[in-house]
Amino acid sequence: MISLRIFDLGIALLYFVAAIQVLAGFLFRQKKLQSLGNYLTVAGFGLHSIDLGLQYFFYFKETLVQSQFYFSLLAWAFLLVFFLLWFRLKLKFLSLIAAPLALILFSSSLAISPKVIPIPPRLSGLWFALHIGTLFISMGFLAMAFGAGIAYLYLEKKIKTKSRLSSFSKDLPSLTAFDRANHLAVTWGFPLFTVGTLSGFIWAAFTWKKIFTWDPKEILAIIIWLLYAYLFHQRLALGWKGRKPAKLAIIIFVLTVISMLGVNFLIPTHHSFKP
Amino acid sequence: MQKIYLFGLNHRTASVEVREKFALTNFNPLKEGLISQDGPITEALVLSTCNRVEILCVGSAAQEDVENKVLNTWAGFCAADINLLKKNMYFYQDLGAVEHLFTVASSLDSMVLGEPQILGQLKDAYRKAVKEQTVKVIINRLLHKSFSVAKRVCTETAVAANAVSISYAAVELAKRIFGDLSKHRAMLVGAGEMAELAAIHLLNSGVQEILVVNRTLERAQELACKFQGKAACLDDLQDNLLTVDIVISSTGAPSTIIQARDLKKILKKRKHRPIFFIDIAVPRDIDPDVNLLDNVYLYDIDDLKEVVEENLANRKAEAEKARMIIKQEVDKFAQWLKSLDLNPTIVDLLAKGETIAQRELKRTLRGLKQDVDEKTYLAMETLAQSLVKKLYHEPIMFLKRRTREEENAQKFIDLTRRMFNLDNEHIPENAHKDRKR
Repeated sequence: MISLRIFDLGIALLYFVAAIQVLAGFLFRQKKLQSLGNYLTVAGFGLHSIDLGLQYFFYFKETLVQSQFYFSLLAWAFLLVFFLLWFRLKLKFLSLIAAPLALILFSSSLAISPKVIPIPPRLSGLWFALHIGTLFISMGFLAMAFGAGIAYLYLEKKIKTKSRLSSFSKDLPSLTAFDRANHLAVTWGFPLFTVGTLSGFIWAAFTWKKIFTWDPKEILAIIIWLLYAYLFHQRLALGWKGRKPAKLAIIIFVLTVISMLGVNFLIPTHHSFKP
Repeated sequence: MQKIYLFGLNHRTASVEVREKFALTNFNPLKEGLISQDGPITEALVLSTCNRVEILCVGSAAQEDVENKVLNTWAGFCAADINLLKKNMYFYQDLGAVEHLFTVASSLDSMVLGEPQILGQLKDAYRKAVKEQTVKVIINRLLHKSFSVAKRVCTETAVAANAVSISYAAVELAKRIFGDLSKHRAMLVGAGEMAELAAIHLLNSGVQEILVVNRTLERAQELACKFQGKAACLDDLQDNLLTVDIVISSTGAPSTIIQARDLKKILKKRKHRPIFFIDIAVPRDIDPDVNLLDNVYLYDIDDLKEVVEENLANRKAEAEKARMIIKQEVDKFAQWLKSLDLNPTIVDLLAKGETIAQRELKRTLRGLKQDVDEKTYLAMETLAQSLVKKLYHEPIMFLKRRTREEENAQKFIDLTRRMFNLDNEHIPENAHKDRKR
């Protein structure tokens, strides 16, 4: 495992440099620096994929019970979503959030003590993989909607109040582009989130013989799902656009972060990452 | 020693009438005799636009000769009073001329600061001069440099950024909201000059279609024809608001024609797709309260004017940065001019050496008669040539070093020319009799 940890540090360093370059490139309006940062993110992602693969195949038993693996996987899922959107929509500004977020998640995965989480048997089941995979990817979408939402609210306020646009905001994409990111987060993210939550409950029914255990994380998940469903409905059925869905997506993402970090680390629950 | 001169009139120094009188459209420096075989001017470029008329020329003659030649030719071509020209004219020499040209190319000297047309006009003028073969080394280099300076100013400063006309500012805002305009339709309500201008800008920015709505359908159709769009009657305004995304309104209506409460219903039917209103009518056509609705953006004429003024102020601030860039580039050009003086000297020096080598070779061969085979001949030639090159190597390196390191390296170049008598001057025996003791 030692060599893998060194490998991990290398990946973290790549993400770090990439994040700095992308941000600096944007602030100082240097296109070259920005695209260099993007290449580094791609390189980091490649190494990261290899890293995850190696961990999974060689240290299968140890890996799946370590919390750091999940954080690393989450960072990877974020980048996966980012590259998908980047490829499909050419939403370049997403790199502004993608690289730094991946950095934070990945390095926190390194910072977590690699202690074993008490995860019940039958863990490698299909339901569990489904549970983690879909939830993580939908969180990736939500993270994008979060970033796009903040940018949307900032730019919209500037245009509405007719205030001066700084050179920084001049480089931002249009309002419509940000709204499209939100649309994708809703249309793709919500079904994934639903599958993720459902499979969690089904898996719980298998392992604990109980579907709902009044665990704080489960309660929060239900609340998030309800909000997400509301957003899904308003956006697709009533055609909500702009500020309202942007704000709602921001709230939903913040709640998921709370449920991911706050609940797992602070409150005693069987989702806890603490030993 | 070649000198650069620039004579000109622009919108600051001369009135329109004067500029018209001294316009130099279709002026050919060769045909008009500005450049002639042994005249004072060797290169010339003429720029003649509605805001400026300038003659850039290069020559080694004294300033008065060049000035007389240029002004006489200019006034003669225009058949106008030379004194009127002198009164309104500005004049720059050498680095001053270089700096002025860079300033013009970067559009810092334009009527509307930062507008890019002048660069295109300068490029056209240069193309014409190249075709007419009136430019050589110095103006060639100078013009290429001025294009790259203009490009540098454009990318490194915001002098040309931000719209400074109302109709263009409106289009810029539309792009902030919608991004790519090709999937969006625009609607003109009423027809005015500014609305038409905005419509043209929108079309140039790739808007999908223009719909013209007017009180009289005929006028609407007339305009729609111009933009290859559709026409509609003012009574159908509400229905049309469902399908268009950009609305430019400029009717002469005494009260508002689009109300916030009506728009609320329309928005729901539109599924909240954003809509951008540009109200350039006075009194206003659109209820200001629509700006309070989500996904609706309203800019009236005052808002747009404010945007334009801010942008113009911003350009002025950026112009200072641009002037710094120009200063740097002028310095670089001055460096080049200097090395230009060195290079002909080196060429002359080597040419002189080669002539000596050839002459001595011939003389030696004459002495040897027929005893030399081809191989020996080649070896002797190489020996003579390389001897000369080796001998001149050190002085040339010395000159190059001086030119790089010193401000007035010209004196060394001058000295070298005299030492090796590169200009083939005849020096009498008793030239400096008084200096000898």
